Amino acid sequence: MNRGNPKKVLIILGCVCLLLAFLPVFTDSRYFMHLVIMTCVNIMLGLSFSMLFSTGLITMGAAGFWGIGAYTSALLVLKAGLSFWIALPLAALMTALVAFVVGIVIVRAPGVAFIIQTMVVNMILVQVFGHFEFFGGWAGLLDIPAPNPIGPITFTSKTANYYLILVLLLVNILGFYALYTSRVGRAWSAIRLNARLAETLSVDIFRYRLAAFMISAAGAGLAGSFYAHYFQTLEPNMFNVFKSIYVQIYSILGGLNFYILGPVIGAAIITFVPELLRVGKEIEPIMTGTVLIFLVIFLPGGILSLPERIGFFRNGPMASSPEKVPVETEKKEGAP
Amino acid sequence: MKPLLETRKLTRFFGGLAAVNEVDLQVAESEILGLIGPNGAGKSTFFNLVSGFHPVTRGTIAFQGRDITGMKAHEVANLGIGRAFQAATLFMQLSVFDNVFNGFHRHYREPVWKAFLHSASVRREEQRARQKVKEIIDFMGLTDYADRKAQNLPHGHQKILGVCIAMATQPKLLLLDEPFTGMHPEETAVMMKVVGKIRDSGVTVVIVEHNMDAVMRLCDRIAVLNQGRKIAEGPPGEIARNPEVIEAYLGSDEEEP
Repeated sequence: MNRGNPKKVLIILGCVCLLLAFLPVFTDSRYFMHLVIMTCVNIMLGLSFSMLFSTGLITMGAAGFWGIGAYTSALLVLKAGLSFWIALPLAALMTALVAFVVGIVIVRAPGVAFIIQTMVVNMILVQVFGHFEFFGGWAGLLDIPAPNPIGPITFTSKTANYYLILVLLLVNILGFYALYTSRVGRAWSAIRLNARLAETLSVDIFRYRLAAFMISAAGAGLAGSFYAHYFQTLEPNMFNVFKSIYVQIYSILGGLNFYILGPVIGAAIITFVPELLRVGKEIEPIMTGTVLIFLVIFLPGGILSLPERIGFFRNGPMASSPEKVPVETEKKEGAP
Repeated sequence: MKPLLETRKLTRFFGGLAAVNEVDLQVAESEILGLIGPNGAGKSTFFNLVSGFHPVTRGTIAFQGRDITGMKAHEVANLGIGRAFQAATLFMQLSVFDNVFNGFHRHYREPVWKAFLHSASVRREEQRARQKVKEIIDFMGLTDYADRKAQNLPHGHQKILGVCIAMATQPKLLLLDEPFTGMHPEETAVMMKVVGKIRDSGVTVVIVEHNMDAVMRLCDRIAVLNQGRKIAEGPPGEIARNPEVIEAYLGSDEEEP
């Protein structure tokens, strides 16, 4: 609904991309580049969460589908000897396929049931990755090769990987943006805002939600495929429910109503701030959790809702910022 | 002439209770049919059955001669049965325009893959849709409110907006669930004019309503339900004199503590 002006969006996006494209010129810190790359991966996961949220579903399984993408890609390269460039789309396809099968069963029940079911699916996936030797067991998969070189370009350096994930992220954002501004995106938001009414407007809730589930999973799968070949080591617990909760935090912190900018801002902050503050890995979740609790109480719309909250830009470009964050109340039937 | 909507022995049980019991009803094209009855007579359940929200226990529903029994709500809507709810059911956080735009979903044809291209044809389609939405808003007399958020509208206008969204689906049959409830006389007059206009544009209307005065003046025909059964059917004047109807209403008053 928040369509904005496509031309303006493209210009802003172009400028940001140009800026990001020159990022490696300004720094030679491998550590910093690693954080930027991880930010991009996390953004893609946040985008996947937000797409489901745009249909009124809250997932606790984003990391699981990320894992499917990662394992599919790694196994296709390690065991089937495929090129990364073929494994990448296949990983996204595989993730969407799993989402299709799982979705047929679980997408019908919205609300708390969906949250718990996605969580359980995520737990099962971690068990599957760990239990079967085929997936490398609990020790995980090691020595996953970097993406195959294209001509003279090799993907061993941080910089090359950075450009690769940047392109993937851009494709992801453009694709999702197109969907949100199309008939499909409008139907999704109609379902989220009032499922019952949407139904009487001939929106097939089940099909639209299933589509969102598959597309969002494909996005996470794409990120997983990249991650496998960037990190070169996979271990089941990377994809546990804890990570899924983090993915939620990206979207919530940025702003749930901003399906694209929300995850971008949220993931960047959650990835960078603890590192910059040099917080220990043990204390970091406690800190993040505390911040989240206060955020949900005092700023439920996330960081991006601040301008509207303060009342700035009332007549500016931010004025059309959409709805309050609703927890969807899906009444089954009206009182007779 | 074939009726637009026809139910045969339509029955719906909730537990052991028949909320709607063997109701035969025919709705002719371009008429306004009033469905009245005391509280709990099964009027809203009847709507929920026709619009596919409740499964039918027994009996059949036919729309334009086609059996629609057991269809899902979105399928029924897609055939051209629009519905406005009892309580104003809107996309509260959206503007009036966007509310109606969502109602246009059924007619907004745009292949998904084309959305990725933002091609000229997509923009044309969008332009066409926006024009159409504007027409519907003008038709319903909400032009001055188009940019307001639905939640900021007064109650009467929210109810009109509810009808407006249903009209955006361009239905052949419109089900209105208590459109006059909670309205003051001025708003009632506006709503009556709106419903009249809708009928004049060729849409058949079925109204469930408590406001007897409005029903008597507006409807071409009235059917009366009591305890799930249809007890009378006919023109307003006849219904008003029907002893069984009078008894049903008075009787229900006595039963209430």
